[in-house]
Amino acid sequence: MTEALRGLLKSRLFWIALCGTVVLVTLPWVVSAYVLGILTVAYYFGVFAMSWDLLFGFANEVNFGPTFLIGSGAYAAGLLNASGAPIWLCLIAGGAAALVGGVVLAVPALRLSGPYFGLTTLVAVLLLQQFIVIFASRTGGEIGLTMNDILSMDTTTNYWYALGFMAVSGLILFTLSRSAVGLILQASGQDRIGASALGFNVVKHKLAAFCISAVFSGLAGAMLVFYLGTASVGTVVDVSVGVQVIIAAVLGGRRTIVGAAIGSIFLIVAGEALRPLGQLSTFVVSGIALLVILFFVDGLMGLLLRGREET
Amino acid sequence: MTDLRAPAAAVSVPLLDVRGITKRFGGLVAAKDITFQIGAGEILGLIGPNGSGKSTVMQIIMGIHRPNAGSVRVTGVDVAGWPPHRIAQQGVGIVFQHSRPLHRQTVLENIMLGLLPDKLLKLAADRHVREKAREIAERVGLGGVLNRKPGTLPFADLRRMELAKAIARDSQVVLIDEPFAGLTTGEVAAFARLIADFRNDGRAVLLVDHNVKSVAALADRVFAMYLGERIAEGTPEEVTRDATVRRVYLGGGIEVATRPARNARGAALLQVENVSVLYGKAQALECVSIHVDEGEFVSVVGLNGAGKTTLFNAISGLVPYSGRISWDGKELRGRSAAAIARHGIVHCPETRELVGDMSVRENLDLASHHLTAAQAAQQLEWLYHLFPRLRDRERQIARTMSGGEQQMLAIARSLMMRPTLLILDEPTLGLAPVILEQISNALEQLRNTTSITVLLGEQNVTFALPHADRIYVMDHARIVWEGEPSRFAAEVADTYL
Amino acid sequence: MLELQILIDGFAISALYALGAVGFTLMFGVSGVLNLAHGATMVVAAVTAWVVAGQYAVNPWMAAVAGTGAGVVTAFATYFLIVRPIQRSRSVPAAEKEIFVLTGTLLWGIMIQEAVAYFYTDNPKTVRPLLAGVMQIGGVRTPINELLIAVICWSVIGLLWLLVNRSKAGKVLLAASINPRALTLLGFELSRVYLMVWLIYGVLAGVAGVLLATFLGASSAQASQLTASAFSIVVLGGLGSVSGSLLAAYIVGYLETMTAYLISPTYRTIPALVLLVLVIYVRPRGLLGRR
Repeated sequence: MTEALRGLLKSRLFWIALCGTVVLVTLPWVVSAYVLGILTVAYYFGVFAMSWDLLFGFANEVNFGPTFLIGSGAYAAGLLNASGAPIWLCLIAGGAAALVGGVVLAVPALRLSGPYFGLTTLVAVLLLQQFIVIFASRTGGEIGLTMNDILSMDTTTNYWYALGFMAVSGLILFTLSRSAVGLILQASGQDRIGASALGFNVVKHKLAAFCISAVFSGLAGAMLVFYLGTASVGTVVDVSVGVQVIIAAVLGGRRTIVGAAIGSIFLIVAGEALRPLGQLSTFVVSGIALLVILFFVDGLMGLLLRGREET
Repeated sequence: MTDLRAPAAAVSVPLLDVRGITKRFGGLVAAKDITFQIGAGEILGLIGPNGSGKSTVMQIIMGIHRPNAGSVRVTGVDVAGWPPHRIAQQGVGIVFQHSRPLHRQTVLENIMLGLLPDKLLKLAADRHVREKAREIAERVGLGGVLNRKPGTLPFADLRRMELAKAIARDSQVVLIDEPFAGLTTGEVAAFARLIADFRNDGRAVLLVDHNVKSVAALADRVFAMYLGERIAEGTPEEVTRDATVRRVYLGGGIEVATRPARNARGAALLQVENVSVLYGKAQALECVSIHVDEGEFVSVVGLNGAGKTTLFNAISGLVPYSGRISWDGKELRGRSAAAIARHGIVHCPETRELVGDMSVRENLDLASHHLTAAQAAQQLEWLYHLFPRLRDRERQIARTMSGGEQQMLAIARSLMMRPTLLILDEPTLGLAPVILEQISNALEQLRNTTSITVLLGEQNVTFALPHADRIYVMDHARIVWEGEPSRFAAEVADTYL
Repeated sequence: MLELQILIDGFAISALYALGAVGFTLMFGVSGVLNLAHGATMVVAAVTAWVVAGQYAVNPWMAAVAGTGAGVVTAFATYFLIVRPIQRSRSVPAAEKEIFVLTGTLLWGIMIQEAVAYFYTDNPKTVRPLLAGVMQIGGVRTPINELLIAVICWSVIGLLWLLVNRSKAGKVLLAASINPRALTLLGFELSRVYLMVWLIYGVLAGVAGVLLATFLGASSAQASQLTASAFSIVVLGGLGSVSGSLLAAYIVGYLETMTAYLISPTYRTIPALVLLVLVIYVRPRGLLGRR
């Protein structure tokens, strides 16, 4: 265990994340409730993006429909809550439902390559969406599902929940990325044949990566809907939400985990800040993201860490 | 090369026991009834030219392919058909021909990977793993670059890292694929010592290479393959002197037909000066200078990997290079590959690059795109005359033709473009002798009836010699000999292998 | 006469799907690009036709030409601003170029969609039918425009087939989709081949967009749905296979029409999605796919 800890402490990314978290912790005494609300959503988004980055950075699979996992978790939690279960049970159910979804997604993935896998993930989202619409009587369809319970009425408490969740998830995912298992996962993703030649069961490890990504996505999705008070297609299932998750991770810096969180915060805050532009806000944000992937391929983390990790 | 072979010792229970391995890919028999054993503390060299099937055999032992027949026993257990990771766990380690480092991890982490068990729940490596990795790195000479990323390392160090990973695996059987490609003579010696260490540790080593010389000094025994079959087996001396092996590599007895004396020496058409090419970190070509005069037929001979293809790729603009290549006095640098082709330098590559799903006629039509209808028709008629088989198969889809027919189509296609210089790379690769005869005759006809200039690259010396006005010999990315065919037999032939 | 109605409507819708899908698959087959700004390109063509018809009061045919031109312009913009820079970039590792192109075209599509919505709102735009009036076919009243759409789509597809299989330039395109290196060795500049593909693509997407506007109307909000449909059809048929896309377009078109008429319009897209999932699990390379 001490090896893992030592590895963590040596990492520049870890210290950046730690400093960032400390700053974020102090915010409730500094900013308005409005800002805290925006950041709360951004933190849940951060977990979406970090889970996506784990799958991408390790299994080397680009998931074009992360909202399949997020939505499964969110709706499972919501539906269970509608029949009276307490929040903690619903959260567990959300994670479990997403886990099942992750396995379902992994099965074709491990046989497909290139654009086919991407399409499978996209189709999964479309199917989930249709499913929700058909069973509108139970799921609330396009309008959405109102939750029976919510996490808290108080803005600051909700902020702590979200920040805490993001910090803990981030720590777990980040530690994983730096661990021995993480190393094996990276090898499996980058070079399947090379990893097999070293005696590693690539399929087993990729499946594990899917499951981890799924559990965190689903859990985050469940927590988000308990925060918002409703679960709707537009917030947790729609393809456009999935696209934003990918943009956040790429913008922040692929394969850094920490970058995904930073990218999400940037994206959500920028989206809000540009709200006065009305319709054009999406245009501008997409434009910025496009410029980033064209000119700053390694994202915000790449800019921050540029040159220092070279030699 | 210093002789590193072990003193003659009794071969005990074989660690690797390959029997009757046969593999078919569609209609092609890549390996036929291959049998050999390697005991502990032994190095077996598996040699053969490209297309001989040695890579297929290695891939079957590794688990990448499943054999159609036969067994592969590792320490007594039959692993044929197992998935690669299980075979690796059973005790087979591999040093790949092309280094495959994890680019985002340090050298130390790359080596540690070889020491980790296949467990999902291991968050932290055992304490001794890091230490052991460090030791292994020191042993191969990477002690000073432990914390660097592979992208910053020179080529030889990347190869060292591959060896280190294999050492980390601590496998009973080690497969080593073409270990010396791209290394300088000094580096080759160091690597040979490391490979000998594997053997001295009591492992069974299978050394796969097409370069007979480098294998001969290191291997205890040699197994030679050609077109999927065993052609010789024995000590290195026995195998290099074996008549069949010599024929396969040299193409047979070296005969030189007296060429009609060339009176007027044509102007130097192609001038290659001090050209070097780097593939990533590997030195594929080192300060090569050649020239081809108008109307000449120049052959560049050398074993696979000597650098012939790289040289041709540099001339036709397919790879970046340093140095100067000029055509008719003007530098070629800066022109696109397509422009160079349009300018009269037509390259018929080793891989032929036919448009497989199109017919013979369609392939030829593509080549005549820039000609007028009359010119195209005339050229087509001439080509059908040169290669009658193509006329018969005009409508046949290219990819369904035999290797020999595809080669004829490739050459015909290049000739359709009415080249001033035809660059022909390894036309005889994998072809049966009968087809070689036909292609050889076609080249002779070409020689006698047109004023075309030809640059031929070949491993098969018997094929390359009769038509040539001049020969260059390449070895390890350099030109090592230049001269007329008549002097080749006397000066070079014996040391060629 | 429900069956006949389904037959006719299905035919027209499928023809439109086919035109959209063929462009998409050609682009992938020849240059390896999955253009996720496809739907947006069609929408631009549709809206341009609407604007030109409305503001300059020209006849629908001129508007159609203008719309197709806009499709071509958008296609070239996608190539020069997004796809080519990524393909030539030295900082993107080769293995990730495909993903970057996908994400880049996706973002670009969103930008176009939002820009159109900003200037023209996202209400569906329709263009007056190219030929007005209705016809009676076996007792079913069918707008002539609908038949015309099927005819135009198939004519364009037919022209494309002639181009690829019977013309010299077309053979070059076909060769590019099989072995681009062969073309370089034969003296063809691949950059020019790619320009040709994007031009053809622009025309195909442009015509499809304009026809959509005359038939069902097009709005910027539909852009992603249009891309998703084309993508699904192409994968169902087999990435890179033109005949596969045609077959798949008809299967999907008819499945949708039958579901809409016989079950309910809301569930229109489901059978096709289910079929797609089955194909991905059972035969990932598609119905007529090569690899």
